[in-house]
Amino acid sequence: TGTTIVGLIFKDGVILGADTRATEGPIVADKNCEKIHYMAPNIYCCGAGTAADTEAVTDMVSSQLRLHRYQTGRDSRVITALTLLKKHLFSYQGHVSAALVLGGVDITGPHLHTIYPHGSTDTLPFATMGSGSLAAMSVFEAKYKEGLTRDEGIKLVAESICSGIFNDLGSGSNVDICVITKGNKEYLRNYMEPNPRTYVSSKGYSFTKKTEVLLTKITPLLERVEITEVGEAMEE
Amino acid sequence: MGDSQYSFSLTTFSPSGKLVQIEHALTAVGSGQTSLGIKASNGVVIATEKKLPSILVDEASVQKIQHLTPNIGVVYSGMGPDFRVLVRKSRKQAEQYLRLYKEPIPVTQLVRETATVMQEFTQSGGVRPFGVSLLVAGYDDKGPQLYQVDPSGSYFSWKASAMGKNVSNAKTFLEKRYTEDMELDDAIHTAILTLKEGFEGEISSKNIEIGKIGADKVFRVLTPAEIDDYLAEVE
Repeated sequence: TGTTIVGLIFKDGVILGADTRATEGPIVADKNCEKIHYMAPNIYCCGAGTAADTEAVTDMVSSQLRLHRYQTGRDSRVITALTLLKKHLFSYQGHVSAALVLGGVDITGPHLHTIYPHGSTDTLPFATMGSGSLAAMSVFEAKYKEGLTRDEGIKLVAESICSGIFNDLGSGSNVDICVITKGNKEYLRNYMEPNPRTYVSSKGYSFTKKTEVLLTKITPLLERVEITEVGEAMEE
Repeated sequence: MGDSQYSFSLTTFSPSGKLVQIEHALTAVGSGQTSLGIKASNGVVIATEKKLPSILVDEASVQKIQHLTPNIGVVYSGMGPDFRVLVRKSRKQAEQYLRLYKEPIPVTQLVRETATVMQEFTQSGGVRPFGVSLLVAGYDDKGPQLYQVDPSGSYFSWKASAMGKNVSNAKTFLEKRYTEDMELDDAIHTAILTLKEGFEGEISSKNIEIGKIGADKVFRVLTPAEIDDYLAEVE
């Protein structure tokens, strides 16, 4: 559940950021997971809360957005994604544990929103969510200003995520960043890796001969199996 | 249920073994505007007439060729409103497949799903068959593919096919012109020539539509400017 996710509006668009630690109670389940989810080509969404819920809800809405784009023949708007997400979350009365930072650039300009598990939303110039939100917000509160450049924006987002990584136990590992501008986006996966492995045995890791003996023989899978489809050709 | 004796399907067998409602649906298709499709060695093209009821209609507001997925397009002959329903259902089906398997739906499967819907409308109560035939053009792991789906729910894979008004003439023309090693651009030329054969009036980028998909697996409806270029080439 622990996470640090953030977003801010800069001169040309929106920057989203996230840490990459996934936890199961006190255990780090995944040291390098992805928390910035695709919603539409011009919209991405950071997720905190239950990983399965954030993943499922962003997937469902991105699917609805795609159908909506086919119907309307134009790019999705951030407000549409926001409404679809909050409607879903509200109808489940907070039982879908997804706290989101939604950001994107559409025909009406750049937008940034936060969405709480119960379905309430905020519209903000800079936002943080998750257990590391306090640490990250302290950085934003101190340093955010209007009209940041791309590089300044990325630097500030990375700094606020790092603040979560180092001060919040629920957050850790690397920094993911997504920069969305008009007609363009850059997904900077593992933009920073401030926590590399400190020790790797120079001798390498090996196992005693005994553990290598397999009791079953492994036969590799066939490359490609030819399947004859039945009922494919039909008579009128 | 007092009205139960009337709640069976409208599509009921006649004593001679025919389903007249389906035949009427095929008649609706046969009197619709001509559409055709050609499978080339490196892609597929579908094309259709776009004759509007009045010159006052804004031709840019009518799109007869539609996307189902990024790599599958479809065109129809017959009733426009029925086509809209099928397109919506098919897109939803494709999206459900993508959500379940995280892989784009294969053309064959999407065609089968669409055909299933059309079949259900020949056997359900309170509905009528769709008054459209579809030409589905797609490109996936199995290469370029062209399918025709009829109101009965039957579907076939074609190298080239036509439907709507002038089917027989168009098919004869395609039979003469078609070759296995035809490339996409040749296919587009042939498609235009075939449409031209049975065309009443002057053919232009405003009264036809062309959709194509090549090895890049991206289906695209040609812009009027691109159609003008192709029209100039076949002159």
